[in-house]
Amino acid sequence: MIRIRGVTKDYDRRQILRGVDLSVDDGEMVFLTGPSGAGKTTLLRLLYAAERPTDGEIWVAGSRIDTLPRSELPQLRRKIGVIFQDFKLLRRKTVLENVTFVLRFHGIGQREAHRRAYQVLKRLGLHHRQSALPESLSGGEQQRVAIARALVYQPRLILADEPTGNLDADLASELLSLLCDINYQGATVVLATHDHALLESLPARTLVLRRGEIDYDGMWPP
Amino acid sequence: MIRHALAEGWLILRSRGLISPVLALALAIPISLAGVTVSLRQWLEPVIDLSDRESVVAVLLHPRLDESQRRLWISEESRSHPDWKLAEVEPEELAKRLASWFPYLEEVLQREGPQMLPHMVEITTRSPERVLELKDTTSVLAVGPTSSVNRVVGQVASRFALVLLLVAGALVSGALLLAAVWVHLELHRNAEEIAIMRLMGATEATVRGPFLVAVVVPALLAAVISVVLTVVAVGWMAQLAAPLGLAARGASFVVLACQILGAVGLPLIAAFITLERHASREES
Repeated sequence: MIRIRGVTKDYDRRQILRGVDLSVDDGEMVFLTGPSGAGKTTLLRLLYAAERPTDGEIWVAGSRIDTLPRSELPQLRRKIGVIFQDFKLLRRKTVLENVTFVLRFHGIGQREAHRRAYQVLKRLGLHHRQSALPESLSGGEQQRVAIARALVYQPRLILADEPTGNLDADLASELLSLLCDINYQGATVVLATHDHALLESLPARTLVLRRGEIDYDGMWPP
Repeated sequence: MIRHALAEGWLILRSRGLISPVLALALAIPISLAGVTVSLRQWLEPVIDLSDRESVVAVLLHPRLDESQRRLWISEESRSHPDWKLAEVEPEELAKRLASWFPYLEEVLQREGPQMLPHMVEITTRSPERVLELKDTTSVLAVGPTSSVNRVVGQVASRFALVLLLVAGALVSGALLLAAVWVHLELHRNAEEIAIMRLMGATEATVRGPFLVAVVVPALLAAVISVVLTVVAVGWMAQLAAPLGLAARGASFVVLACQILGAVGLPLIAAFITLERHASREES
């Protein structure tokens, strides 16, 4: 599903990632951890082509994305569900609209989109707030809307950047079990977190990034 | 996709409130001023034509010249001045003209008959001043006005028309700049939303559609306002200019069509360029 070869990323002459090599198979669940500034978010951004690497090759779902033309990016991104650290919700749209608008890009009709969105929101305990605007929601609720939006079209790859950062322990555990279910159904999940409790709650392959390099690649705890 | 663009575009317009009509008005004013300017320039066209129009100078021949002498004089002058066109005006014709210019002469002319009038030759030339030289010859009794005022007026009008065109160009450039700034600000205001839509897999057409709708609606409003303003302003100025003898008429269809194209086209061009630049910048 993911193949990265010799990827480096520089920002203003500062090297964030240094020659990262990585391979994630279809249906794998991978934790990405490391201290703040280690390059976790940058690596995820490269995976959904929000940025291009300074050097190296990135392959996602069979496409080489570091050289992918702009016109083909939407096609790639529709295969990926991204859960952002800062939610990235549309402020002028309700909870339900935030979830359904991505289904429109997949050519799904309004009625079916509403049905699917309602199901996901119900699963995340947010169906009663479907008409609310994001600004009226708590941080945790906004995070769950962002999660619902990433899951609603059942992508083959889910990239989650600190998805439990705004959730309490119960909700974090609920989210983890949700991601496990989705992974069990065949989706590949890459979850960036520095929450050690979360890592220890589920034995899975874990990549530890330190100063832009993969310091550890194996089961957690080591 | 069109439904999505219309729905989202309407949301953007609604969120702007009164800004859209104000922007439409701001866009309509320079475009209608440009239309008025071009219309004024059209009025000047007949005056500009004077700049290269030939003047006609009347020359009265001495009454003692008989017909053969007159013919000889005409042929000699034609030979020595190849750029002159000489045409003899028969006394009957001259009498008619005098009667129409000076009605109080009609009675005298009828009583005495046209034979009492001298023979007149009309010389058509671009340099009427040179005809004045004939005044000192024995065959010529008098030479009519030789002023080139028409040409000077035409040249002034031509320069004024050029200035009007430059002003119209500056106004249209101002409108384009306004449209570009407007679209740029709109994109800036919605940059986060656009970025999210792109990250979620929206195509460029999906992202651009609502913005183009949000630009086209005020642009159409601007087109209507500019056409109305131009028709009213040009009509009013035509009334004012009528006593001056200018060929004052209402705004032409071509001017109004150009205004509509400009009011809709300029913001659309600005929107396309700005959206393209925005997408390229985001990619880099």
